[in-house]
Amino acid sequence: MTELALSPDFAPGLLAESAAARVTLIAPVARFSLRCKPASRATLARVLDLPLPETIGHRAHARSREALRLGPDEWVLTALEGDAAGIAADCAAAYDAAPHSLVELSDREVTFAIDGPGACDLLSLSLPRDLDGIGVGQGRRTVFDGQGVVLWRDEAHSFRMDVWRSFAPHVASLLATGCRELALEM
Amino acid sequence: MLLIHCPYCDETLPELEFAYAGQAHVVRAADPSSQTDEEWRDFLFIRDNVKGVHAERWQHVHGCGRFFNALRHTVSDKFLTTYKAGEPRPVLDDTERSA
Amino acid sequence: MNPYRVYGKGRIDHRAPVSFTFDGKTYEGRRGDTVASALLANGVHLMGRSFKYHRPRGPVSAGSEEPNALIGTKRGTGRYEPNTRATVQEIYPGLKTNSQNTYPSLKFDLGAVNDAAYMLFSAGFYYKTFMWPKSFWDKVYEPFIREAAGLGRSPTERDPDHYASRYHHTDVLVVGTGPAGIAAALSAARTGLRVTLVDENAEAGGTLLSEPQAVIDGAPAWDWLEAQLAELKALGVRVMTRTTAIGYYHQNMVALCEKLTDHLDAPDPDMPRERMWRVRAGQVILAQGALEKPLVFDGNDRPGVMLAGAAQTYLHRYGVLVGKRAVVATSHDSAWYASFDLHDEGCEIAAIVDTRADLRADLVEAAAARGIEMHLNHSVSGTDGRLRVKSIRINRMRDGKAAFGRRIFCDCVLMSGGWTPSLHLFSHTMGKLAWNDDLTAFLPDVKTEACQIAGAGRGLWGIEAALNDGFAMGAAAAEALGKSGATPTLGVTHDRTGTGVTQIELPTDRSPSSARAFVDYQNDVTAKDLRLAVREGMRSIEHVKRYTTNGMATDQGKMSNINGLNIAADALGKPQPQVGLTTFRPPYTPTTFGAFAGYHKGGHFEVTRKTPIDGWAEKNGAVYEPVSLWRRAWYFPQNGEDMDQAVARECRATRESLGIFDASTLGKIEVVGPDAVEFMNRMYTNPWTKLAPGRARYGLLLGDDGFIRDDGVIGRMSQDRFHVTTTTGGAARVLNMMEDYLQTEWGDLQVWLTSTTEQWATIALNGPNARKLLEPLTEGLDLSDEAFPHMSVAECTIAGLPARLFRISFTGELGFEVNVPARHGRALWETLMDAGAQYDICPYGTETMHVLRAEKGYIIVGQDTDGTVTPYDAGIGWAVGKAKPDFVGKRGLARPDLVAPGRKQLVGLLTEDHSKLEEGAQIVRDPKEAVPMTMVGHVTSSYDSVAMGRPIALALLAGGHDLMGEIVHIPMPDRIIAAKVTGTVFYDPDNTRLKL
Repeated sequence: MTELALSPDFAPGLLAESAAARVTLIAPVARFSLRCKPASRATLARVLDLPLPETIGHRAHARSREALRLGPDEWVLTALEGDAAGIAADCAAAYDAAPHSLVELSDREVTFAIDGPGACDLLSLSLPRDLDGIGVGQGRRTVFDGQGVVLWRDEAHSFRMDVWRSFAPHVASLLATGCRELALEM
Repeated sequence: MLLIHCPYCDETLPELEFAYAGQAHVVRAADPSSQTDEEWRDFLFIRDNVKGVHAERWQHVHGCGRFFNALRHTVSDKFLTTYKAGEPRPVLDDTERSA
Repeated sequence: MNPYRVYGKGRIDHRAPVSFTFDGKTYEGRRGDTVASALLANGVHLMGRSFKYHRPRGPVSAGSEEPNALIGTKRGTGRYEPNTRATVQEIYPGLKTNSQNTYPSLKFDLGAVNDAAYMLFSAGFYYKTFMWPKSFWDKVYEPFIREAAGLGRSPTERDPDHYASRYHHTDVLVVGTGPAGIAAALSAARTGLRVTLVDENAEAGGTLLSEPQAVIDGAPAWDWLEAQLAELKALGVRVMTRTTAIGYYHQNMVALCEKLTDHLDAPDPDMPRERMWRVRAGQVILAQGALEKPLVFDGNDRPGVMLAGAAQTYLHRYGVLVGKRAVVATSHDSAWYASFDLHDEGCEIAAIVDTRADLRADLVEAAAARGIEMHLNHSVSGTDGRLRVKSIRINRMRDGKAAFGRRIFCDCVLMSGGWTPSLHLFSHTMGKLAWNDDLTAFLPDVKTEACQIAGAGRGLWGIEAALNDGFAMGAAAAEALGKSGATPTLGVTHDRTGTGVTQIELPTDRSPSSARAFVDYQNDVTAKDLRLAVREGMRSIEHVKRYTTNGMATDQGKMSNINGLNIAADALGKPQPQVGLTTFRPPYTPTTFGAFAGYHKGGHFEVTRKTPIDGWAEKNGAVYEPVSLWRRAWYFPQNGEDMDQAVARECRATRESLGIFDASTLGKIEVVGPDAVEFMNRMYTNPWTKLAPGRARYGLLLGDDGFIRDDGVIGRMSQDRFHVTTTTGGAARVLNMMEDYLQTEWGDLQVWLTSTTEQWATIALNGPNARKLLEPLTEGLDLSDEAFPHMSVAECTIAGLPARLFRISFTGELGFEVNVPARHGRALWETLMDAGAQYDICPYGTETMHVLRAEKGYIIVGQDTDGTVTPYDAGIGWAVGKAKPDFVGKRGLARPDLVAPGRKQLVGLLTEDHSKLEEGAQIVRDPKEAVPMTMVGHVTSSYDSVAMGRPIALALLAGGHDLMGEIVHIPMPDRIIAAKVTGTVFYDPDNTRLKL
């Protein structure tokens, strides 16, 4: 079992690792909330050169940009940090034709990567929903230990979890506890 | 802990993702200033206290964020159906009403 | 050596001795023993004293239903647990246990005088005894009751263990690993479903562990069990032992409490002691079996008197004979089998006493073949023995009455009053029960949840019946989930089906009024108490229960409820279903607070939100205060300052030169879209249309009732984009309220809301030198008063960082608020601190912020308002855009009560004697008025003001705006303080300092 404290400035790196699972704080990405009415979706997808999925929980990506649909009129977009200005410019150019809201949230959340054979068990410490309902390559906004999070399922046993910055230490401490606890049962 | 079907996500999910938001179909008048004191009082404060099927609002606060409506039986606590905000209250058959 | 151990019998490891202590004395048991089985193996039945009468007691059962053998267990500092059932606690080397409710010792107990005085302690004793005189309530009765109340001793040290929790989703959850449960799990799992099988015992098997004689499908029971457990494992079934289903909640959520370490020799310190599982199942199969009922007769609680089934379990599971010479008293066939098993292992069965006159021939023959004396159609009228039963008194019955008694010497009495299905979990679902006259038992009837009940839990006795019912119910559950599979039927030989009759308290030839025939062992409720309750007018079983406390102990009436019902029904002259059963409630067995708390204790008790600048504050000695979930720097004491000194210094420094404040916790919402301004017009009281991009305005948010909900400064970043700020505590609430109106009332608007609270770190700079500090660090913006006046906002670069800069003030001084992406907050703070050294920049906390704003009369929503205050009450009617056709709260403000005279209005107060008022203190007009005085308001804010050189206060005062200059009075415990009513702005009323 390896366990490292989450630094106050959220330096990326390994936080906890055991035979059950590994928890890593990953480097920041450019992150935006995109909101629009259905009529604007196609235009925005075109200017972003990124499909905007129609089904809540589904994801699409093109080059280094990725979109996850969170609600009926809401997507979270991620991209490389250097692409933030590009995304803002792409959307701004289409504003009159396709009214929308684009708000940068790159600093609102930090992202934990959770993987390993016990990753699902680790999440089940405090995730009330059935993970079987989130397919590989999908994502959801949900709740973990009482805090709203966005959960991305990249592989069967590999997840990313976006957590609001001030809730991250609380979530990290539980994930580390869980790594330790679950390893004892393996 | 209840399971709630979100009509926007089309998933049945744990109550912890949701927040209760009071009685449904309480309409805010388009022109509140035309409302009498009694009408405005009723809009603000007067609610049903049903023993049986109750139309109520929930918000999928830790999910898609939508407010939606539900019919729930206040004795069994069970949800009979949920539907999107703005849709009319569904008509239930007798077996559902007594559930 | 264990004198009562049968070598080679049982599931224990005979080659593995384990030493533990009970009341300081060391005993030796075997690996696999419980405390009860190990003590019984040593010939010890006396394990505790009863709650009310302090009567000596021993185990009456062998499972979690045990009402008597409650002990304290200890494993080092902090790990003391009272009221543990000795029949459940497994032994490990070094386990320390003690008896309870005993003083000075278990064998000689002073509290036992209660027993001699039992006539005083009858039903309703508390209600009758502690009534008069009233003056005794708190001085005499309460201390007495508090001393006597409670069983066991609470631990006093902090619990060093940790506790865990998990969510678990499964298609089928099976509760109980007896034959029914195992079969149900098998047939469900064979269809490919996810199956979870749980049992509260240390080992799976249930009844099969106590009935090794059975032959299932040609295999001895224990071989069959092993093979099925192997198949379950191969099918991927999660089998959890030491895991109690404690509660059955809505929509097939079942709470399980798993005990992980209480049985281990030396648990890994990282291992949680217990784990609470919240299981959501598609189908639940309840296979909890049945519980044996005691017979109710005088002295049925004496150590050595126990259930026949328990004696059978002690023999087969633990290899323990509970005595050398037993008398069996029964009204059910099952006890006969127990007699035979004990006899065959060397226990002398002195007699079988059965209340029934006619018995099955094969049982009678089997008893006769063993030379066992039989007394049919007999009653039991008493037992003797002080700390252990020595003899039993039995009576032949004639016409239902007990004739002259005779005594039989024995060292244990094995009783059986038949069996009752375990209905607890089913009852948690509010499922309806149906009375079955043949079984004299309630059975599950109308289900409210997607569940099946299998085996003895629905009145099917015998292994074969339970097993095949289990297969059928497992298949039924699978079918309900859209799967189909085979439903096997297995034959069982040497099965022990049986029947019996149900008895109320057994007939006696002695005075029934002196009989101590216990129904509820743990709460010392006798049959006589129940009859007394009915005589005294209790008609409902719920009233009988509360009056007598029958079934209200920690065992939840597992043994007592049905006997209690039968006796109450008899006393009422009504059939049982008309009397009804009391409600079973979770948890099924006592559950630790730790299991409920899970991870939420210590540092993880709740979230502590910290700002990006929190680390600097911590390093620099900040004292914190909690504000909603945030911890905020309250003040920064230097050189041993107390709070008042530190706050005075911070206030002075800010007003004289420059203060710096972490405002990151303020809620922030980005309102974006073509209809953003229309949304703002509808949501906030203020008019927004004419606010130009680059300008900011104080925004006031009401509810539709007209009362103030929140406030904050709002900047218009561009035509269609607003940067809204809210109070720290209101951030989530305001966003939800806005979303509610937007989604459900104004779906026509093209505008979207996004929380940006944590996107930004916010640093407030206040003081005459604020601009001087910022100017050299700012690029792309002219900060002069002409170019960037008070209430401006702009995007620019500050210290090389992208920023949103507001010129606003919550202090009355020249002020700026810098927002930068959160990751840069600390760096910017440190840059500003370095650059501000030349201005003696002073970090200040929330207390100084409060003082400075109060000097200016700026309100804090939630402190100076309380949900019943209108903008006019608060003196900020100027923020209401009266010309707008509508906004949230506009109609509310016209409500009759909100425009009536005499409303409480926000005013300033200056005390005549320059003393500081207490926040929350009540205000009166006439200090000479007799108590109760007419209270006309209260103090909402009160501070020592350095700028004013005196204390200042804000207050809500009835009709306050018309009382300027008048004196009001604030009564305190030691004196009445007079204060003059003033306006709310104490400092710089002309706002000259804002305009520097």
